Amino acid sequence: MSLPTPNAESRYSLQTRLLLAFGVLLVLFLGLAGLVLERAYQESVEAAVRERLQLQIYALLGVAEPDDNGFYLPDVQEARFSQIDSGLYGFIFDMEGRELWRSPSALNLSLSVADFSPPVPEVGETLYGVLDLEGQGELIWASYGTYWENQEQEFSFIVMESAAPTAAEIREFQSNLYFWFGLLTIFLSIAQLILLRWGLRPIANLAEDVSAIESGKQDELQGSYPLELVPVTHNLNLLIKRERERQQRYRGMLGDLAHSLKTPLAVMSAALQEIKNGGGLGPQQRQDMEEQLARMDQIVSYQLKRAVEANQSRLLVKPVEVEPMLQRIVGALQKVYRDKQMQAQCDVSPDTRFFGEESDFMELCGNLLDNAFKYGGTRIHVTARQEGRTLLLDVEDDGPGIPPDKRSWVLERGARADTVRSGQGIGLAVVVELVSGYGGEIRIGDSELGGAKISIRLG
Amino acid sequence: MRLLIIEDEDLLRAKLVKALEDSDYVVDSASDGKTGLFHGLEYDYDAAIIDLGLPQLDGISVIKTLRQKGRIFPILILTARDNWADKVEGLDAGADDYVVKPFQIEEIRARLNALLRRAAGFAKPTLDFGPLSLDTTARRLTVNGETVELTAYEYKVLEYLMLHPGKVVSKSELTEHLYDQDHDRDSNVLEVFIRRLRQKLDPDESLKPIDTIRGLGYRFNVPPNTKR
Repeated sequence: MSLPTPNAESRYSLQTRLLLAFGVLLVLFLGLAGLVLERAYQESVEAAVRERLQLQIYALLGVAEPDDNGFYLPDVQEARFSQIDSGLYGFIFDMEGRELWRSPSALNLSLSVADFSPPVPEVGETLYGVLDLEGQGELIWASYGTYWENQEQEFSFIVMESAAPTAAEIREFQSNLYFWFGLLTIFLSIAQLILLRWGLRPIANLAEDVSAIESGKQDELQGSYPLELVPVTHNLNLLIKRERERQQRYRGMLGDLAHSLKTPLAVMSAALQEIKNGGGLGPQQRQDMEEQLARMDQIVSYQLKRAVEANQSRLLVKPVEVEPMLQRIVGALQKVYRDKQMQAQCDVSPDTRFFGEESDFMELCGNLLDNAFKYGGTRIHVTARQEGRTLLLDVEDDGPGIPPDKRSWVLERGARADTVRSGQGIGLAVVVELVSGYGGEIRIGDSELGGAKISIRLG
Repeated sequence: MRLLIIEDEDLLRAKLVKALEDSDYVVDSASDGKTGLFHGLEYDYDAAIIDLGLPQLDGISVIKTLRQKGRIFPILILTARDNWADKVEGLDAGADDYVVKPFQIEEIRARLNALLRRAAGFAKPTLDFGPLSLDTTARRLTVNGETVELTAYEYKVLEYLMLHPGKVVSKSELTEHLYDQDHDRDSNVLEVFIRRLRQKLDPDESLKPIDTIRGLGYRFNVPPNTKR
């Protein structure tokens, strides 16, 4: 069995399609997840910085004591406030923006009110911001509004911290994140490739199986296939089986044909020998030759018809509407047997269909009806009805009928062509072959019309 | 009777033409569908034998076209493929009967005979008119049960007239249907045949079966015995 090669140019293989789709999905998903994670981390780091600054403000508040010129902070716990350029700076401003105090760490800081005029917080409120100071980089600040007992004024306590360490921390996190995500992408891609291979393995197996059948290494699709492929493999096996059966039938028929032709050939060559031996072409030899020729003709047509029937495959056939087909055949036969003025009655239940090849049905009905027209006197009755997918067909006539002792012989299947005697019609033999090809039944009975009643059950 | 044979197989066509000419038919033949169709449309035939598998134009199309253009002569189809789908298609297209190859010439003769007779409306192979009875199978005439010997041409003339009873048949129609094209169409010969026929059919001139319609032709005037 050779299967047509599918278009090799078929743009993308299943594997490529799935790989592409999953690849795009993976990149989208991981990219988006990375962004969200990065954002969340940044926010949490910023929140931590704010909290830290707030704590430093509370620490300053705890030790601040007002004096005449402003404030005096004798013992600040945090060492970084005392160390110059430490990156942590503290200030106290009054409401007019005058600087009342700055931590020793900020002594080098060329910060003036002009560059830095922070919005004045309400009492108890903390404001945050970022200040870009020349020579210092970015500074994150927090400003807290408060007032003091015995003092008319309100003050703002400001703490600043260099943003560099925080930014470095975030960068570190980002590079870590991208590294691991990259690794994850590679890992997932490999996993996906392996999974796809595994998932699509049955299809590859199927292709291998089919090519093994093609090269004759095996007879059918073997092994177990996943549920989704079972209908396909089942039908394929069926197709293969039918194809093989058909080949066998063809081979058998060819053998039958060859063998059945040998007998008439032998008779003819014997007759020829008689003529050669000096007998001349007598009436006996001539009759022999004519008989054998007729026999050979019959053998050939019988085998040809069988070959046509063997062609049937019940997969993927369109059901045949029975009524119009019967009408056509009856119409054609009325022409051929016009002299008989046959009254043909067709009773077909609505929607009766034959599930098989149209040509087979035509052959079947053509032969049955031809016999009915040939042997019938004046009346023919055809009935067809359906039970499920089964077609029931009766053809009756008012002819002489078939004697009971001959019926089983007529119905004997696979009677080799050389047993078909000359002069005997091959119509019914063909019908028998056809019916058995479809796994149906055929019975011969007596009709109420007086002649034969052929009943057929198909499907 | 003038026949048209359309068959592409040279040997078979030659044999058919020969055999049918031997049976006193006038035969035209064509080896492809186009030429065959041209003949069929151009000339008036009594019947045609058409093979289904023809070059240039297939047999089914030839038959369909002939019928569409109003040609009603009977058509016998020849088919090599012995299946009902082909037979029914051919008969549906307008053919009247079929013969499957290989066949005996006898089979063709019998079918043709039946078709011609049926086309004239006779259900039986014997044409009965009063005391006259023409057996078209045995090609024999009996008058009041007595066999009357006829020559081949006398038979042809009588058969043609009997198959067109009550109809005026012109001399040219008779010659066209009974003689080859290249035949010398001397109408005197026809008159001689008719005169001899009258003597044989009706020696005592009581029946007068064949009228001469002056300037038009002949008419067979005995009503048929059976319902047509």
